[in-house]
Amino acid sequence: MAKAKMLTGCRAAAEGAKAAEVEVICSYPIRPYTAIMMELAKMVANGELNAEFIHGEGEHAQVSVVLGACAAGARAYTGSSGVGVTYAMEVYSPMAGGRYPVQMSIADRTLDPPGDFGSEHTDAMSTRDQGWLLGWACSPQEVYDNTLIAYRVGEDHRVMLPQMVCQDGYFISHIPDEVTLGEMSQVKEFLPPYRPIGPLSLTHPVSHGPQIRPDQGAPMDAMRAQTFLAVPKVIEEATADFNRIFGRNYDPFVEQYKLADAEIAFFIMGAHANTARAAVDRLRKQGVKAGMARLRWVRPWPTHQLAAALGHVKAIGVIETSTSYGGAMRGGNLIHELRASLYDLDDRPLVTSFMGGLGGETIWPADFDHIAKVLTQAVKEKKVRNYVQWLGM
Amino acid sequence: MQAFDYKFQQLDPVKSFKRVPGPEMYVPGHRTCAGCGPALNYRLVAKAAGKDTIFIGPTGCMYVANASYLCTPYAVSWIHAQITNGGAVASGIEAAFKVAMRKGRHDGPFPNIIVMAGDGGTVDIGLQAMSAMMYRNHKVLFICYDNESYANTGVQTSPMTPYGAATTFTPPGKEIPEGKTLFPKNAPQLVIGGHPAVKYVATTTIAHPLDLMNKVRKALSQPGPTFLHMLAPCPKGWLFDEKMTREMARLAVETGMWSMYEWENGVYKYTNVPKKYKPVGEYMKHQGRFAHLKPEHIAKMQAFVDEKIKQVSQPIPVAAPVPGKQ
Amino acid sequence: MAKELPGYGTIDVPKDRVVPFGAVTPAPVCQQDLFRTSNWRIVRPVKDDEKCTRCLICYLSCPDACWVYKEEEDVMEWVNNFCKGCQICIQECPSGALTAVPELDFPDGVARLDKPF
Repeated sequence: MAKAKMLTGCRAAAEGAKAAEVEVICSYPIRPYTAIMMELAKMVANGELNAEFIHGEGEHAQVSVVLGACAAGARAYTGSSGVGVTYAMEVYSPMAGGRYPVQMSIADRTLDPPGDFGSEHTDAMSTRDQGWLLGWACSPQEVYDNTLIAYRVGEDHRVMLPQMVCQDGYFISHIPDEVTLGEMSQVKEFLPPYRPIGPLSLTHPVSHGPQIRPDQGAPMDAMRAQTFLAVPKVIEEATADFNRIFGRNYDPFVEQYKLADAEIAFFIMGAHANTARAAVDRLRKQGVKAGMARLRWVRPWPTHQLAAALGHVKAIGVIETSTSYGGAMRGGNLIHELRASLYDLDDRPLVTSFMGGLGGETIWPADFDHIAKVLTQAVKEKKVRNYVQWLGM
Repeated sequence: MQAFDYKFQQLDPVKSFKRVPGPEMYVPGHRTCAGCGPALNYRLVAKAAGKDTIFIGPTGCMYVANASYLCTPYAVSWIHAQITNGGAVASGIEAAFKVAMRKGRHDGPFPNIIVMAGDGGTVDIGLQAMSAMMYRNHKVLFICYDNESYANTGVQTSPMTPYGAATTFTPPGKEIPEGKTLFPKNAPQLVIGGHPAVKYVATTTIAHPLDLMNKVRKALSQPGPTFLHMLAPCPKGWLFDEKMTREMARLAVETGMWSMYEWENGVYKYTNVPKKYKPVGEYMKHQGRFAHLKPEHIAKMQAFVDEKIKQVSQPIPVAAPVPGKQ
Repeated sequence: MAKELPGYGTIDVPKDRVVPFGAVTPAPVCQQDLFRTSNWRIVRPVKDDEKCTRCLICYLSCPDACWVYKEEEDVMEWVNNFCKGCQICIQECPSGALTAVPELDFPDGVARLDKPF
């Protein structure tokens, strides 16, 4: 069994890509994900990784280069942060609709304006309608693990979709934590080689992406939607396999921490879940029946799994580290889909949201205490006073 | 770093019309306009390149008109790219084949990887990707089929549209009598001027099929990035009778509106240099896009062409053989 | 606790509207029969074989590859199914062997396709 090393999230992502033996990498510098590419550059230069390392001319180019590489049959890898993620927006739908299972490793960063390096999830969340698989890690270990799991799920022939593997910038990307890397035998057992479907070939010529007939627009969309119906099962299988081979204990969609008998719960994604867990423990010691649900996949959104995990909770506080200006709750992105997931329950939990961690701020234990107070009050009053509040403001 | 063995294809020069390779790699059955210059261009390029080829097709006439609906006329592998990223997608394909050959998944030959981009996809919205590909030394041939406009969207101006041309974004009017007031970019010069890795750059037209095919083959035999600029007249956009497509290309060369040359290792070789250039009016009079111009505008165009012609050196025998009469 | 939650329904795409996986289609071999353009033309080129010098200029001028040189018979053959009647070949023929004849003059003129596409 391999020994644990202290690795940052960026380094862990690079190690995951190396374990996956990615073949074409396209880089472009933007904080804070750049370190992933710097690590991979060293690996390629030293001959540890047999890959083409292409210096893209921008993030739009990065995603375009890996699209071409994947269409030609290579396992391709790229990444970005912040406005780099949004700059490449044009290419996301062609990638997903073309069924090219590349992986993009995102270290979150606030979108401009202005140039703020802190982490917000809005960058990758803005792309959630484009048809990619999209998920978040809360530790460098999970970044490494998700890199392998995402390739396994994305390249499954029942799926064949590109994946975004996200981590909070700085908190995860730059702070080292214990990571146990897989042995080659474990990786090989878990992740088969990429088998492209109809790649650009000299012996079997194909045309990728002719115009479709006018009456095929809706069917094209419907068939893409249909694929997402098949994805959750593949995620469950892959996660179970991963847990077995690597000795982990991931719930495929939602990490449930002391949730089974919780009366109030934190619903959260990413780095600040680590503080949330400690807050749950503290509250439990004070006799408050608190719990935490940490979302691991945003696309596909685990509607039924969330209803099952959270249906019994009396009040849920959604911690939002992303913004959706003018949205229904005038806050972040998670609350809308969470409320939608719980809507059809007979006894709906109360749901409110808390904007926290924006601009890369720390969410303090005291903040979680405050959230718990608000939730407890809501349970007493049997109602939510506001859809959203802004921590510290 | 070990040099990569590209396992080059054997692409000999085509010495005569009778020796033109028979198989069509751009087959009949596409929705391009009758008399389409770019379509003829594609056909000749595909013939010269042969079956071990992968085309990248950024959005444009040579995508939309060819690929409607759910079928294409490419007998070789082809992939649609965005109008923005032809050079980038091609770079990824090239890299994937290099890895596949290094790992023994593909025996060779290295495919001809050819981007067929319109003028917009080359020097305007596609400029960044094209330039980066030239810089990164990928073994890719980037071809600009120049119909001097964004034709597919209904003929809008591009940076290659000539001065004085009417397009739907440069309509002539009381305030702007010429229509287009700007002079075009010079695509081959953009490539030659700043990309140390580029191996070969040349210009040609659809009215010079052997020249075109041989320049394609010469480019594909280079161990790095190459660029070909091909004049492909557009009857719908330029407003001339569709049977005159080839004649327009010939007149462009005869008036100096278009120069035929190769550039390799810093050396220019000009060909098809007229002994006496015809006045630009001889070219412009056939085309409805210039019909609104006054003598002073034509004179301005003539002055621009006269400057361009000054750069042409004495004709030197070229490597790509050209038959006696075309 | 929970009544049965709604499902996602089923999606049944009619067979004739299905899009191939990833919009990847096989490449055509010699011609793209899904796009016959013969009904575009209003004239067709007619060849006077005695004037034809087999110079092959028509062969190299046609965007739609509608002139083929038959080597054994040493004759130029015209392709009916795809000629759009653009007349480039007629214009370019150096020996005047080609003339434009209205399509309606021919018994098989104005080839009609069953459907537009």
